[in-house]
Amino acid sequence: MQKYSIFNLVKNAFSNHENWDLAWKDPAPKEEYDVVIIGGGGHGLATAYYLAKEHNITKVAIIEKGWIGGGNVGRNTTIIRSNYMHDENALFSEFGMNLWRNMSQDLNYNVMFSPRGIINLAHSDAQMNAYARRGNSMRLNGIDAVLLNREQVKEIIPMADFSENVRFPIFGGLMQPSAGTARHDAVAWGYARQADSMGVDIIQNCEVTGFDVTAGKINGIRTSRGNIKTKKVGLCVAGSTNILAEKLNMTLPIETHLLQACVSEPVKPVLDRVVTFGAGHFYISQSDKGEMVMGGDLDGYNSYAQRGNLPTLQHVLKEGIAMMPFLSKLKMLRTWGGIMDMSMDGSPIIDKTHIDGLYLNCGWCYGGFKATPASGWTFAHTIAQDRVHDLNAGFSLNRFSTGHLIDEKGLGTKTWIS
Amino acid sequence: MSQNFRLENGGLINRNKKLSFKFNGKKYFGYEGDTLASALIANGVHLVGRSFKYHRPRGFFGAGVDEPYAMVQLYRNNETEPNVKATEQELFEGLEAKSVNCWPSVNFDIGAINNFLKIFLPAGFYYKTFMWPKSFWYRVYEPFIRKAAGLGVVSTKHDKERYEHKYEYCDLLIAGSGPSGLASAYAAAKNGARVILAEDKPRFGGSLLTSDVNIGNQSGDDWANSIISELKQMPNVVVKNRSQVFGYYDHNMLVMSEKVSDHLPKTKKYHPKQRLWYIRAKEVLISSGSIERPLVFGNNDTPGVMLSSAAKEYLKVYGVLVGKNPLVFTNNDSGYETAIEFKKNGINPIILDSRVNPKSEIIDEAINLGIKIQFSYVVIAAQGYKKVRSADIAKISDDKKKLGAIENIKCDCICVSGFWTPTIHLASQSGNKTKFKEEIDAFVPGKSKQNETTLGAANGVFTLEETLQSSFIAGQDLSKKITNNDNKISLPNVVEKKSSQHDKFWCVPMPEGKNYKRFLDFQNDVAVSDIEIALKEGYRSIEHVKRYTTLGMATDQGKTSNLNGLQLVSDIENKVIPAVGHTTFRPPYTPISIGAIVGREVGKHSKPTRKSPMHSWHKNNNAVFVDAGVWLRPRYYKQGKETLFEASKREAKNVRTNVGVCDVTTLGKIDIKGPDAAEFLNRVYTNAWLKLPVGKARYGVMLREDGIVMDDGTTTRISENHYHMTTTTAQAANVLSHLEYYLQLVWPELNVNVVSTTEQWAGAAIAGPKSRKLLEKLFPYNDVSNEALPFMGYMEADLFGVKARIFRISFSGELAYEVNVKSDNGNFMWEKIIELGQEFELQPYGTEALSTLRIEMGHVAGSELDGRTISYDTSLEGLISKKKDFIGKRSLNREAFTSSDRQKIVGVVPLDKKTSIPEGSHLVKDAKAPLPNKKLGHISASCWSVEYDNPFSLAILKDGKNMIGEKLFVMSPLKNKVIPVEIVSSHYVDPKGERVRS
Amino acid sequence: MLHIKCPHCGMRSQNEFSYGGDASVKRPELNKEITDEEWDNFVYNRKSLRGKHLELWQHLSGCRQWIKVERDTATHEIFNTYKAEEEIS
Repeated sequence: MQKYSIFNLVKNAFSNHENWDLAWKDPAPKEEYDVVIIGGGGHGLATAYYLAKEHNITKVAIIEKGWIGGGNVGRNTTIIRSNYMHDENALFSEFGMNLWRNMSQDLNYNVMFSPRGIINLAHSDAQMNAYARRGNSMRLNGIDAVLLNREQVKEIIPMADFSENVRFPIFGGLMQPSAGTARHDAVAWGYARQADSMGVDIIQNCEVTGFDVTAGKINGIRTSRGNIKTKKVGLCVAGSTNILAEKLNMTLPIETHLLQACVSEPVKPVLDRVVTFGAGHFYISQSDKGEMVMGGDLDGYNSYAQRGNLPTLQHVLKEGIAMMPFLSKLKMLRTWGGIMDMSMDGSPIIDKTHIDGLYLNCGWCYGGFKATPASGWTFAHTIAQDRVHDLNAGFSLNRFSTGHLIDEKGLGTKTWIS
Repeated sequence: MSQNFRLENGGLINRNKKLSFKFNGKKYFGYEGDTLASALIANGVHLVGRSFKYHRPRGFFGAGVDEPYAMVQLYRNNETEPNVKATEQELFEGLEAKSVNCWPSVNFDIGAINNFLKIFLPAGFYYKTFMWPKSFWYRVYEPFIRKAAGLGVVSTKHDKERYEHKYEYCDLLIAGSGPSGLASAYAAAKNGARVILAEDKPRFGGSLLTSDVNIGNQSGDDWANSIISELKQMPNVVVKNRSQVFGYYDHNMLVMSEKVSDHLPKTKKYHPKQRLWYIRAKEVLISSGSIERPLVFGNNDTPGVMLSSAAKEYLKVYGVLVGKNPLVFTNNDSGYETAIEFKKNGINPIILDSRVNPKSEIIDEAINLGIKIQFSYVVIAAQGYKKVRSADIAKISDDKKKLGAIENIKCDCICVSGFWTPTIHLASQSGNKTKFKEEIDAFVPGKSKQNETTLGAANGVFTLEETLQSSFIAGQDLSKKITNNDNKISLPNVVEKKSSQHDKFWCVPMPEGKNYKRFLDFQNDVAVSDIEIALKEGYRSIEHVKRYTTLGMATDQGKTSNLNGLQLVSDIENKVIPAVGHTTFRPPYTPISIGAIVGREVGKHSKPTRKSPMHSWHKNNNAVFVDAGVWLRPRYYKQGKETLFEASKREAKNVRTNVGVCDVTTLGKIDIKGPDAAEFLNRVYTNAWLKLPVGKARYGVMLREDGIVMDDGTTTRISENHYHMTTTTAQAANVLSHLEYYLQLVWPELNVNVVSTTEQWAGAAIAGPKSRKLLEKLFPYNDVSNEALPFMGYMEADLFGVKARIFRISFSGELAYEVNVKSDNGNFMWEKIIELGQEFELQPYGTEALSTLRIEMGHVAGSELDGRTISYDTSLEGLISKKKDFIGKRSLNREAFTSSDRQKIVGVVPLDKKTSIPEGSHLVKDAKAPLPNKKLGHISASCWSVEYDNPFSLAILKDGKNMIGEKLFVMSPLKNKVIPVEIVSSHYVDPKGERVRS
Repeated sequence: MLHIKCPHCGMRSQNEFSYGGDASVKRPELNKEITDEEWDNFVYNRKSLRGKHLELWQHLSGCRQWIKVERDTATHEIFNTYKAEEEIS
């Protein structure tokens, strides 16, 4: 495979950039694979990559209905963090942080991981205490966290509302300095390119129409481009999990909801951190292009429409202005929606299933993008070894029956308000 | 400077009103009715900015919303606005603007060095480099790139402008006031329909303002004017200019942004800057017209290259020449119209037509006017850096593959026309699956998805007669459905010139040995070569192409670039355009100010503020308030220079020794009535309710169905079939909905009604050993003795003529009462309590003292009932009835909920009895253990025990039941604290609960 | 913004309502012996499919009645709305 570097870039410039290789091929499906990953999103691509890299399993196909990276990996607000309270989420995400830190070099594709720090603003002492609980838990888990007072927050983000004319004054915040952002498309493409180079078949425009299950074992899948034999299938289709689960006669603790995001027009840099509002649900960062990338609440009712509604956006932007009043002077340029697997406790599922050879990776709620490498890594392990890794042991499917819930927000089963 | 490019007369500007303005510090003049763009062009200024990536000089390309690059930093009324389109900004006296994305100036821009490095910066170059050394991306490369990117500058000052929202309903919303909009609006209005006609520009009429047509013996713009004047007079019609319908949402909700004040030097008093209209329309007519497509050739981004329709608009609307030596490059007849306008104004244009030998009325007219026309000719490249000076042109073979010898001709502008792209955004936003129409090589709306009908050019209909006819009919038919009126409008006589077929040709091939940049996306600097690289590297789907190259992702959202991009991909990939597909159109059509989207709910008004009836008393008595949800509650009453800690200690201590009063109005209150009320409560709460006597209160805990505690509170049986429930402040609304859910959906057979009475009652908690004595004074006519009003008792009483409810309940653990009166009497009650409490040394206490009192008693609150705990965890399992079923009970047998080492609430006291324990700390066995250090539990609430004068905390601790007496460490790494502690009972004070019964 | 016909009040904008999830989920009867699986199906498991979805909304800022709405989760088209007690065929 061609190596990407400044030298190669210069070299190719003199041949008019006509000698660049395909980043990934576009093969037709073969008759049989050792592992089939359904879903060519970030998690599916990462899973295939780690199957090849860590477990030497390369007879792998990724089956994608549309084009790779077209789902939530290309529709998020690019935030990467491990500021979780519960151990299961925290240790998993922190493992992922280490993968993020080395990803550009590992993949030889600049994913622009930018550890610019995330600040969760607090607007009451009670919230400061709740953040302290989370921050202390992070620290005891070996994750960086700093509790900031009002003055410290003001020093870092003076453009937040520190005026008198504010409904919920800023008391302080919890910061994870090592959190940050990455270029979302590059993550999908980087994984795809490396997986492809190690022999993984990336099959696009191929819809899964059914599963071949006999005697509790998976034997293959049916697709719009023919049947494929395999003993192992990894389901990696957050946003469409319920649709494929139905084909398997499974009902999951997941609802499908729409999350919108938007960007402003690009302006010169004013905000170099990721900031979240504490008296509502709003988060913001400024991209390298200068756009303010913003998001917040779900649209609030089950949805498969990749188009959002304005009231939610209005509500989200209202909270944005409450946090940083200058935002009202910017123009909203572009909005989009992503379809989320909202699990009943807000945490993901990476597990085996009652069907032999069928593995489940779903329920990512808002948090799928940041989890891409750790999810791929642990899912690859789970598939390759046919057993869960310690890192994803907590993300079991039966935790809902056993009561071992991982509810970061304490909101329970009303997925649409979480 | 004089307006050298302004015609002597003509145009729709007001030549009687001269306006002065500044651009990049230099003073110019224009006229009322100009845009900043037309005024600058009138002054011969074409260099307005620099492009995003290569910092190439940028001028004007369009004349309206489609403008891809003429964006400026606007200064207006001591505020600055980034990225304002000069083609949309109306001129006002004193306007100031500057170029964006250039340093030190637009004329000499350091960033333009990128233009020389451009061969090293192809599409996606940043994915291939900046990876070494590892930390350099964030520390070195990225900050550099960030500084270079971003167009204008936003000031972080607060916005002083006001934005409004308006909600409207109408029969027909018509977006766009061109021929189709006017005709349909007129027909519908005549039928009595309620019509809203929206036009994004200041002037109504759309293409009628610039086209050479005749309708009913009137010129196009005269006809438009007469229709608009008539519409404005009709009571059933709202006509709005400067109003962009930018979003088509679900169920025929459209949103329109009206620029109320942007065209004025400053916003008038009491006026908004902008107004957002939420319009629910029965029918929507999309008459948004079309946008001219550019032709792609070398250096086609040079200032002076612009759409031919824009050149015509500058001429006809503003009386401005975009050049005096124009070259028109076209693949269809539209370029001829522009050339003819030039000719009529004494300018000699040259037309290059890519077509072989087209024939039409317009072409004949151009020939007759003596305009020089070269068929089968194309522009290969524009020459000139900051302004077009000449053009390299050549003859092109019939198959459009071979170029003849290059010739150079002098010109000062190149007006391009690559035919027309219908503006289908709104239709597509409504969910309409658009279809590709071969005849016009563009997408048009397919079958209506919502109640939308697309008309005229937006529907791919480019002749006036057909447009007017279909629009009259649409307006009539749709309004007839609603109003049942049937007024027929007869089509006036239309005179227009017939056009010939356009050429299916958009991108001029690169001549041998040349390496020009041929731009598709002007703002983001995406050139043909970038698309070629993306495809070569396997980024084949149009979404991949778009994302890899950033085509169409600039602030103009690809209005002029998307279709040419698609065409190119389809040519290279050898696929038809429909197979390539286009990316989805999403609102907003054009960037919309966030302030307008949000409206008035800003600053203090971002959320409502709820205040108790006693709020002003608290305020007058030095209360320091705290937000409790949307409520404001007194946190403490400050005396002198007291700190929060000192004041809350004083207030809590006074409750323990004398008596205190606390405003508890914010507690949720729900009236429950009906013969089945007791049965209902029995199902809602975990404990038994069937035998609660009238006049008695009971504490209850309710669960969610997943077994987690939802809320707690007391409920009192007021009379046989009447209960008064209290909830926590935070959960009040949720609990009411929860009760309504079960009553209406699950157990409709229960005869029970519930209603919120939170607002009806003012509440005061009177707590402390002397509270009964105070009560005797407050209710001289009632017997409030322990016998008459025992613990958990209730009575109705007379507070000096005011009816009151007394509940003997306690959150503080002291002998305590809660008195409720009608909200209107809240102040009376409060002042009476304060007045008569003097002799018992009564003090008001706030939420902080309230917390202290409940913590040392081990009473749980929101920090323990955090949506993750079950009854057992908070020692409320005693209230779980074994005999009956209730909401959530079935979940309680879950393995984790019944495990023997399940977490449980405990008390925590520091061994030194001095060190305060920060809330949010965690409990560990070994403070020095390596990370991750296993956490056994967390501190949920902390206080300074006023009873024992030492710190005390509550914690939720693993195996808490068996941990009493253990020594552990409290760790707060955030505060760098490690505190050795002892685990004690959570009931720290009065564990037997004797005081409440005293 | 959705436009929902409250069967009690008529057409109202979405912002008067709050959402309440899948209406096809039936709470098991009180005191009835059921399996853990049946209980989990009630508490946690949802079909949540693309297309027609019968769901609950509460007319919160109106008559406060819980209603059932049949809506398409992909297009948001509302086919019908029902009162809480109405049986849906």
